[in-house]
Amino acid sequence: MNRSNLAHRRRLAESATGYAFILPQMLGFVLFVLIPLINVFIYSFQNKNILFGTNAFCGLDNYRKLFSDPLFHLTLKNTLIFSFFLVPLNLILAMAMALYLGDGQFGTRYIRTVIFLPVVTSGVAWSIVWKYLLQGGTAGPINWFLAQLGIQGPNWLQQKGWAMGAVIVTRVLKNLGTNVLVFYGAVMNLDSGIVEAARIDGASGMTLFRKIKLPLLMPTVLMASIVTMIGSMRVFDTIKLMTDGGPEGSTMVLVYYVYYQGFKAFKSGYASAIAVILFLIMLLMTLLQWLARKKVSHYEE
Amino acid sequence: MKKLLAVLMSVMLMALVVPGLCEDAVDIKIATWTSNADQLALLGSFVDEFAAEKGIKINCTFESLSGAEYSSLLLMDLQSNAAPDAFWIMEADIKAYIAAGLCAKLDDALVSYDPADLDDGAMSLWRDGGSTYAVPFSTSPFIMIYNADLFEQAGLKDPNEYLAEGTWTWETFRECMKTIKEKTGVYGYMTVNNAGFADRTVMNLTPFVRGFGGDFWTDDLEVKIDTPESIAAVQMFHDMVYEDGSVVPPGDESNFFTGAAACTFNQISQLGNLKDVTWKWGVTKLPGGVSFLGQAAMAANPNSKNAGLAAELVGYMTSATCAARVAKYWPPCRKSVLESEEFLSSNAYLTADQMKEIVAGSVLNSRAMSNNINSPTINIETEILFDKLWNADADVASILGQIATVYRNNLQ
Repeated sequence: MNRSNLAHRRRLAESATGYAFILPQMLGFVLFVLIPLINVFIYSFQNKNILFGTNAFCGLDNYRKLFSDPLFHLTLKNTLIFSFFLVPLNLILAMAMALYLGDGQFGTRYIRTVIFLPVVTSGVAWSIVWKYLLQGGTAGPINWFLAQLGIQGPNWLQQKGWAMGAVIVTRVLKNLGTNVLVFYGAVMNLDSGIVEAARIDGASGMTLFRKIKLPLLMPTVLMASIVTMIGSMRVFDTIKLMTDGGPEGSTMVLVYYVYYQGFKAFKSGYASAIAVILFLIMLLMTLLQWLARKKVSHYEE
Repeated sequence: MKKLLAVLMSVMLMALVVPGLCEDAVDIKIATWTSNADQLALLGSFVDEFAAEKGIKINCTFESLSGAEYSSLLLMDLQSNAAPDAFWIMEADIKAYIAAGLCAKLDDALVSYDPADLDDGAMSLWRDGGSTYAVPFSTSPFIMIYNADLFEQAGLKDPNEYLAEGTWTWETFRECMKTIKEKTGVYGYMTVNNAGFADRTVMNLTPFVRGFGGDFWTDDLEVKIDTPESIAAVQMFHDMVYEDGSVVPPGDESNFFTGAAACTFNQISQLGNLKDVTWKWGVTKLPGGVSFLGQAAMAANPNSKNAGLAAELVGYMTSATCAARVAKYWPPCRKSVLESEEFLSSNAYLTADQMKEIVAGSVLNSRAMSNNINSPTINIETEILFDKLWNADADVASILGQIATVYRNNLQ
């Protein structure tokens, strides 16, 4: 009796210490993340305008306005295009790199460093450098290089169609390293017994990858795809600095539109409604991917 | 422990006593977008002079906000409980600020600082319903800055010779740019800050459009961007970019100040970029006698605890005595100063004649950019349409028509 009481108290003290350790972080989270986040939901039901100081309740007006706002439709479409191309491109490239590195072939160590360098580079510096590289005509180094091969490069960031592609590639190269590292870790942890057994059974190359390695890596791929997808929907600095949403609004994504309505037009209520929609989209996508997990990774648990 | 307690107690006592000791010191905070130490020191000395004149003590702090995001940051700042008492304000924001009640009326405070000396044209933007809400400390006309060597290499006359002959028209300008590109291979014209295809589109097109007798919209909110004059002007600029190839095109970072273009339109504050250039440069008026201003003003926060004092301080800091001393950075809109010897000799890069003819001559009777309360919304909707202009096969008239529709729907 006495002893169990003592144990109980010790456990309590232990958890109290634990809570004390996470308290500063939790305080910060509540104060700077949770409360502002809840406020965004509240603002989305107000006609809040920080310039004119209005903040009356307006029901679903902001959401209703979204339906007839052509710019919202455009930015929503752009966001989906952006993610739709960025996520697969990032995952495929990262997987290819990870498999190459996993084989321990030539130059592994150098490639690992080079691939990871952009990740630790400031996003602002990265965008500015790429804006310079991607100049139109033959002024930019990339087009100059293409011109040596007899190809006339487009005006990457100023031509509708090309701009989105250029921004996506810039972004993929920036964050590729993270996924390469994640996949590389998973590749190194592959059960060599299984791989060896498959080899002995005569599987090689594409078959080995498709039938053996990929299924084993699937949980990691799913996790990475969720994180990459969420990251892609939050991209702001690259777009703000490289194209500022142009040309013709073709690279204007939802986050950029939130910024524009909130901090340029000062319509905080409307901006909050867009942010809520963006949040719901991300939530939905994450849920879908989470549910798909059961379908694609049979062997889990 | 005791020692610590004693220290704490004395600190608390000091905190209680010290503000009491200098009870008459007023805290004033001024928001600006400059972080240049010389400029801030100069502004600080104005505050000290003002305090001495009033026989009070002012603790002045300057808050330097980023220029590119100034509008957003200032507004956040004004909502906070550490809001500035006085602030610099950009021309694009003033109409909305007046409507939102964020600028104090300055009429009473200005009485002692000779308001009649302020040029009416330059003041039009900052007045509303007969009251003055801000006073420009900078009324900087756009001038043409050019690379004289490139004009010479192309076998052209110096732009100031065309001006003297009376042939400095937009046609001459276009012809010169084209000749330079053909003869030297260097671009002719670089748009304002090389951002004329991005966030400076309207600023870049304004001199062209006004030079042809058009406008974006007038002060009475009459939309004129789709008039034949405006269309002809934008078409000419478009042709310069896509037919003549004489303008630094969209997405090209060639810069006038590094010698990669023959001229640009900008303000005298940019002349510092010419400090180390090895080529001969010059300045002249914009073609076709267009006078077009970029302004920046100072306003007082009506919700400040010291609103009255802040309004007077704005009056003092934009008075003739102060305006003369900031003139080397920012040309004033005070007629007395524009004519003074002190102003004419204030800029290290320009001669007294250039200051008189080109700078002062451009300030008086010129106009600012078209402006409206609803500018933020108008900007976002027209930005996409303006982008459509920057294609070789763009239908200028139809695009300007669409832009005019956005203006008509949103101007208020």
